[in-house]
Amino acid sequence: MSQSYNRGTVEDFGRWRDFSAGMWAWIFHKFTGWVLVGYLFTHIAVLSTAIQGEALYNGTLQGLEALLVVRFLEVGLLAVAVFHILNGLRLLFVDLGIGLEAQDKSFYASMVLTGAIVVASIPTFLGGKLV
Amino acid sequence: MAEHYSSFDRNGSRWLLQRITAVFLIGVLAFHFMLLHFVNHAAEVTLAGTTARMSSIGYFTTMWLFLVTATFHGVNGVYNALINQGLTGTRKRAVKWVLVVAGVLLIAQGTRVAVAMTNLI
Amino acid sequence: MSTIEQETETEETTDESAEPTVESPGERRRAEKQERAQAREDQRVDEEIDHSEETITLKVFRYDPEVEGKEEPRFDDFTVPFHKGMTVLDALIYSRDHYDSSLTFRHSCRQAVCGSDALFINGRQRLACKTQIADLDAGTIRIEPLPHQEVVKDLVVDMEHFYDQMEAVEPYFDADELPDDELEEQRQDRENREKIKMSTRCIWCGACMSSCNIAAGDNEYLGPAAINKAYRFAMDEREGEQRKQERLRIIEQEHGVWRCQTQFSCTEVCPKDIPLTEHIQELKREAVKNNLKFW
Repeated sequence: MSQSYNRGTVEDFGRWRDFSAGMWAWIFHKFTGWVLVGYLFTHIAVLSTAIQGEALYNGTLQGLEALLVVRFLEVGLLAVAVFHILNGLRLLFVDLGIGLEAQDKSFYASMVLTGAIVVASIPTFLGGKLV
Repeated sequence: MAEHYSSFDRNGSRWLLQRITAVFLIGVLAFHFMLLHFVNHAAEVTLAGTTARMSSIGYFTTMWLFLVTATFHGVNGVYNALINQGLTGTRKRAVKWVLVVAGVLLIAQGTRVAVAMTNLI
Repeated sequence: MSTIEQETETEETTDESAEPTVESPGERRRAEKQERAQAREDQRVDEEIDHSEETITLKVFRYDPEVEGKEEPRFDDFTVPFHKGMTVLDALIYSRDHYDSSLTFRHSCRQAVCGSDALFINGRQRLACKTQIADLDAGTIRIEPLPHQEVVKDLVVDMEHFYDQMEAVEPYFDADELPDDELEEQRQDRENREKIKMSTRCIWCGACMSSCNIAAGDNEYLGPAAINKAYRFAMDEREGEQRKQERLRIIEQEHGVWRCQTQFSCTEVCPKDIPLTEHIQELKREAVKNNLKFW
């Protein structure tokens, strides 16, 4: 196994096995943050059809909702938003200096809770009829 | 090294604002998701329904504040992420202004859309 | 059993080229004597390994830009007899003394006080002298120099930048008033002592800085150790008010406390168990409170 002189940074994904809970929380929080800010811009762009009138707005939204892939993307968005909220709460407590000893457990808890909420919401998201 | 540091630095306020907007966003984002996916299904959204909701002053104000805080939180978060990657100098200044312009445009467009969705004005 | 797997050709070739072509009887005698000594030593190592019930394998990062054939970093394997209570540093010392005297690493006190042997052991920053081999699950121990620092040679890294960051927070005590009598003590109450107790334990080993993702990306970031140093003085009740304001100004710069992303990597690797993240967070709140006063 050869390694170059620059041995890479610790956060190189090649070392993912050595990542600790706090690092995973940071990576996921950053990733979900990028997704959410990207969605925010897209969301406003889609809703901008309201300026053009009712027909276009209703047509665009219902057209998008009729696509199965959009439904799945929405479940993904829910997962991303729920994790960002729960881990964000965790980070707020860390900022207040509360429960620092349990920071890894609270990360695992936010992961599990995210999973549970997403699974429970799948029927609602995929269930509505594809018009 | 210490003498390179300027004392006119607003990082503390950006850090604090990021936390304050976070507290607000946690509540509003959860509410937004509940309302538009569980109470009203996204597939059944029509402009008539949207207008009905947006014509309540409380809801309109909440949504507009949601737009502003989310834009700040998001754009500031992106800026922080880039600084953490070691962005400095001219590129940092350029990125900063691109993000500021993007944020302002988003809020402007969002406000236009919000106004078009309401019959308050 | 061939136990010596590391490459020693480089030294041998340099030795040969230095030797004169015509040998005097004295030189031959000395060479033979050396050979016999070497053979005895090899035999002793073999016997030690045979006699010890357990052996462990060290995979050690090797690099020396000044020696031909060693500019390319590589890993050398050393098989070391294990005994109860053996630390990673003991194993490194054994390897250097028995196999390859050119193996370079820093160590001094061997009791987790001097802070010179922080290494990247099995994917984590640890003090070699404080790490029991029995506590490492793996049979093979992978030893690398601290990440995020330039490697000077083998396991030795350049600590200059780390020391610069430590100095940047002006880590010295500065009271507003000194007692009239030069011999009078400057007392601190017990509660305040408890508050800063953990922060005073820093041994400047650099493990925290090396574990920090942000310090890796942003070279100007002060880093956990320096901020902890600032905490140690800023939270000391005996520190003068003006000095404290100055210290807060330093740590709340763009590359100060705000860069901390609370990943807890530093807190987890600190060999002295200093709650670094907690201290950084407290300084963030202190800085915000301090600024709110002037708004």
